Amino acid sequence: MTGTREIIARCESLFEDLDFGYAREWKAAQAGRKVVGYMPFYVPRELIHGSGALPLGVLGGGDQLEVIQGDAYYQSYICRIPRSTIELALSGRLDCVDAMLFPSICDVIRNLSGMWKILFPKVRSFYFDLPQNFRDEVGGAFYIHELEELRGVLAELRGRGIGDEEIRASIALYNENRRLVRAVYGLRSREPWKAPSSEVYLLMRAGMILAVEEHNRLLRQYIEASQSEERPRRDNARVVVVGAFCEQPPLNLLKSIELSGCYIVDDDFMLVNRWERGDVPEDGDPVQALALSYLHNSGDTSAKYEPDQSKKGLYLVEAVKTSGAEGVIMAMPSFCDPALLERPMLQSVLSAHGIPYIAFKYAENSGQMQPIREQAGTFADSIKLWSEQ
Amino acid sequence: MTVTAGIDVGTGAVKAVLFEVEGENARWLARRVERVRQRDPYRLAEEAYDALLEAAGLRRGDIAYVATTGEGEALSFHTGHFYSMTTHGKGAIFLDPETRAALDVGALHGRAIRIDARGKVLAYKMTSQCASGSGQFLENIARYLGIAQDEIGVLSKAGDSPEKVSGICAVLAETDVINMVSRGISASNILKGIHSAMADRLIRLLRSIGSIDGAVLMTGGLALDDGIGACMEEGMAKEKVRTPIRHHPDSIYAGAIGAALWGAFRHDKLARQGALANAA
Repeated sequence: MTGTREIIARCESLFEDLDFGYAREWKAAQAGRKVVGYMPFYVPRELIHGSGALPLGVLGGGDQLEVIQGDAYYQSYICRIPRSTIELALSGRLDCVDAMLFPSICDVIRNLSGMWKILFPKVRSFYFDLPQNFRDEVGGAFYIHELEELRGVLAELRGRGIGDEEIRASIALYNENRRLVRAVYGLRSREPWKAPSSEVYLLMRAGMILAVEEHNRLLRQYIEASQSEERPRRDNARVVVVGAFCEQPPLNLLKSIELSGCYIVDDDFMLVNRWERGDVPEDGDPVQALALSYLHNSGDTSAKYEPDQSKKGLYLVEAVKTSGAEGVIMAMPSFCDPALLERPMLQSVLSAHGIPYIAFKYAENSGQMQPIREQAGTFADSIKLWSEQ
Repeated sequence: MTVTAGIDVGTGAVKAVLFEVEGENARWLARRVERVRQRDPYRLAEEAYDALLEAAGLRRGDIAYVATTGEGEALSFHTGHFYSMTTHGKGAIFLDPETRAALDVGALHGRAIRIDARGKVLAYKMTSQCASGSGQFLENIARYLGIAQDEIGVLSKAGDSPEKVSGICAVLAETDVINMVSRGISASNILKGIHSAMADRLIRLLRSIGSIDGAVLMTGGLALDDGIGACMEEGMAKEKVRTPIRHHPDSIYAGAIGAALWGAFRHDKLARQGALANAA
């Protein structure tokens, strides 16, 4: 049986490879293969996979990439992910990507999609608009139209149409992926000492790169290995980390939170991996199934509109309850409009429910972890010593 | 009866204690302090822990909770970790129940911690990153002057005309000291000048944490340095701060004591919840 150390070592090498060697090798293995890049927080990967292409999550350059050219494209008060993404592309690291999808997460990413069209005219660039109205006849109709347009773009890239059967087969594979991802999150929530968040994070990041079939195998291996290995159970505070759904925190930040005495029992790092809360129907019209799942059976985040103000932020309260967390760490990227504009609303909801929280900001290349360790550590102390539970 | 260990991994020294706790009553079983002196602090901590167990006639399995503080979170055998402000506050209350603020003066940082009677942290301030005003800086200067550490306090108290030393920057302070040596200033007055500058910073730190309803206990590696203690008292009188500054012979253990006591508190709380940790 493959051990967790070996599995995570593979995930880490994928994570550190800013040249996307896996995608290049996958593409070179068979003539005509295409790679479709996408940015956070959600795209229907089933359509990409159904077209025979490899969906490749592009989550910025992290703390290993020096941004030189990227800074010329954005003013100083803009987050770092668009700069490092431009840097990745201008330095040729993304030249294996045939099409790039920009979901409607914020104005900056919308802007980036326009820049992509100008800078890389040979790459098919598609701004993927997600519905903010959740009525079937309004948002549903709009979203089906958007999905069909994307299906057309992918068919054009492939050179022939994408059949319903192909999409249904992909939905089945991604349903399995989501079940396995939920199983890993469930395992971590129950026994966080057996599945450290720095490992779970790398495992989920691998899902942004690997073909879904391979990621499913890796998830199964990790579940089996982590359950069979004994690890020390420490007296740590259980926390939910929220706000990091787009620009990713440096791996050291997660390690610092854990080292400071917290078990992360839920997070929103890679929402695309578990956006749909249950299976997407595998029969009937697959595009309609994807659309209805988005409207009625998907997660919540600040980039998704909540029409009922009385329900605003309750998803976080629910996450705290479900995961048995004792507090919330709001870790949000500097200059992230969706996350930082939602933060006061979340704080208000958490206060109303008596859930302790702290908040800090980071950038994907943040290097100084001492203040974060101090803040997270003293938060853990306050939970452990003074909470009523 | 709960037996717990507290291990404080500091920059200059590793402090370890064993406690027996029953309800509100806590009793020392063993204690040990080991200066780091460029050795691996984690190895030292483990050796100190094993030496404590041997001294108390106990085995690792007898310890209900191994609590770390300072830089001890990376110790592989700890059950839980508590931050320095949390542990120094609790340790200070144990050593002197009238304490309502701990002033932790360590090798690298100074920390002022305002606490309530339970040891709960109410306010906290720490010196900035600069090493000036830290124990490490003082130790370096003493070494340059060829003075043993246990002579620092006595010599400083003998100073009658201290020279002003930069309280902001370690590099400038070192330059000040080099100038003083070349001008023939006595070691006593140089050391008193350094202590005065450190005391000024620490008093500012204390003032920044708000009104203290009780005594201040000095903790950390410099707590027993008579020289800094005397300068603190002088400085407080000059600034008309009426809060009494106190010392305790076991002040250096305050962090480790606090860790051990909070470890016992957590152990009992987790036992009631049926959720005991088993890392150690």
